[in-house]
Amino acid sequence: MFGKGLITGMRVTWKHFWGKKVTFCYPEEKLPMTERFRGGHLALNATKCIGCKLCSLNCPNRALELTVTVDENKKRHMQQYLHIMGRCLYCNLCVESCPTQALSWDKEYAISSWYKEDMVHDSMSDQTSAAVSEVKPHE
Amino acid sequence: MHNGILLTAAGWIRDILTFLFGNELLVNILMTLVGIGAIISVILTSAIVFTYAERKVCAFMQVRIGPNRVGGRFGLLQPVADMLKLMSKEDIIPNGCDRVVWSLSPMLLFVPSALIYSFFPFDDGAILADVNVGLFLLLAISSQAVLPFLMGGYASNSKYAMIGGMRTVAQMLSYEAPMAFSLIGVVMLTGSMKMSAIVEAQATHTWFVLLQPIAFVIYLITATAETNRTPFDLVEDESEIVAGPFTEYSGMRWALFFLAEYANLLSISILTTTLFLGGWHGPVLPGAVWFWLKVLVMIFVFMWFRWTFPRTRIDQMLSFSWKVLLPLALVNMLLTGVGIYLYQSLC
Repeated sequence: MFGKGLITGMRVTWKHFWGKKVTFCYPEEKLPMTERFRGGHLALNATKCIGCKLCSLNCPNRALELTVTVDENKKRHMQQYLHIMGRCLYCNLCVESCPTQALSWDKEYAISSWYKEDMVHDSMSDQTSAAVSEVKPHE
Repeated sequence: MHNGILLTAAGWIRDILTFLFGNELLVNILMTLVGIGAIISVILTSAIVFTYAERKVCAFMQVRIGPNRVGGRFGLLQPVADMLKLMSKEDIIPNGCDRVVWSLSPMLLFVPSALIYSFFPFDDGAILADVNVGLFLLLAISSQAVLPFLMGGYASNSKYAMIGGMRTVAQMLSYEAPMAFSLIGVVMLTGSMKMSAIVEAQATHTWFVLLQPIAFVIYLITATAETNRTPFDLVEDESEIVAGPFTEYSGMRWALFFLAEYANLLSISILTTTLFLGGWHGPVLPGAVWFWLKVLVMIFVFMWFRWTFPRTRIDQMLSFSWKVLLPLALVNMLLTGVGIYLYQSLC
């Protein structure tokens, strides 16, 4: 009554006027993805990888094509780690199955491409995203 | 502070013109044209600035950041882009419309909106027509703005436009009465309808917002209704009647309506400043600066209203005007009269 609600409303908009804005200017600023977000490229930390292929065995869609060589000491080396994003359903089974936690998502969700061939990502040659995901609080 | 910066500038221009032409009559005519040009440019500039300001204020109040692409980080060229868009749009003329009345309406709407600027004291002496019935003329001319709305609404041959036009008449007529009555309090205190006299009276005594708080509130409400802004934008409310009388207009014709709307917003803010906030008077800073500071604050207040309050219903709005505002304005008149009588008999 007597315009009390109007004053309250004006106080609210006044606060919002000076307060922090929620808009992100998308291509320049990106919303930080949550910790458990699954998406983007599969980032492989090559120094941790032991070449056990458990990730590709666990993959329900055969989205991982790995090339592993064995040297004279019977040590396995990952040569090529192809993540075929067109097949991937982002179920996280590969990341969960990795015994050395060498796999992670780089959370770079803008991965659309013109050609089907571009949907194959070589995680072995692209170590930058792995280096980024290396910096984790619990490691 | 004998001469404001505006008057000094006008003096310089007059000197230059006198040097160039010499003929006093010609110089006088040219000086009038300069004054008109200055007012028109103020209106056009304000339209550009206010479209940007409105979008930014709206965005900030809705926790957004508003235009941020055209013209750098702050979207400073957004009004230019809007203007280019409006100019490049197709001019659609609806079937079965009354061509003459339809095309006259946007132009006629701009005339009263621009005409009342001649009665505003922008600075010390910087007033185009300081007539002694200034306030009365101002109200009379601004009430002419009803007709173009109705013309546009009637001539568009559209039900939305027709409803919008009828609503305009109902709204503007019923809010003109309390507005005029609330301003009578100011006139009673001043003893004059001359705009410069009203400003002078506030300089010698105090701002009328302190002496006439009820009138100020009534005036703010009616001014919002007169400019057809939310919460009283029933004339053009999108969710019910598309855009009211503007529904069938596009391109530059629509832009003229838009221009008149912002000219009205500016004029109503200037009127508030002149009548209640002491006009161009203020310490230290020059008069013109004070004037525009106050005007900008008032414009922000009107935008604040717009982006805070929801729209009223037509019956609520009309009954509020006739049953609340008008009696209140009359009571205010009575109180002012009693106050003046007591003041004069005591002092």
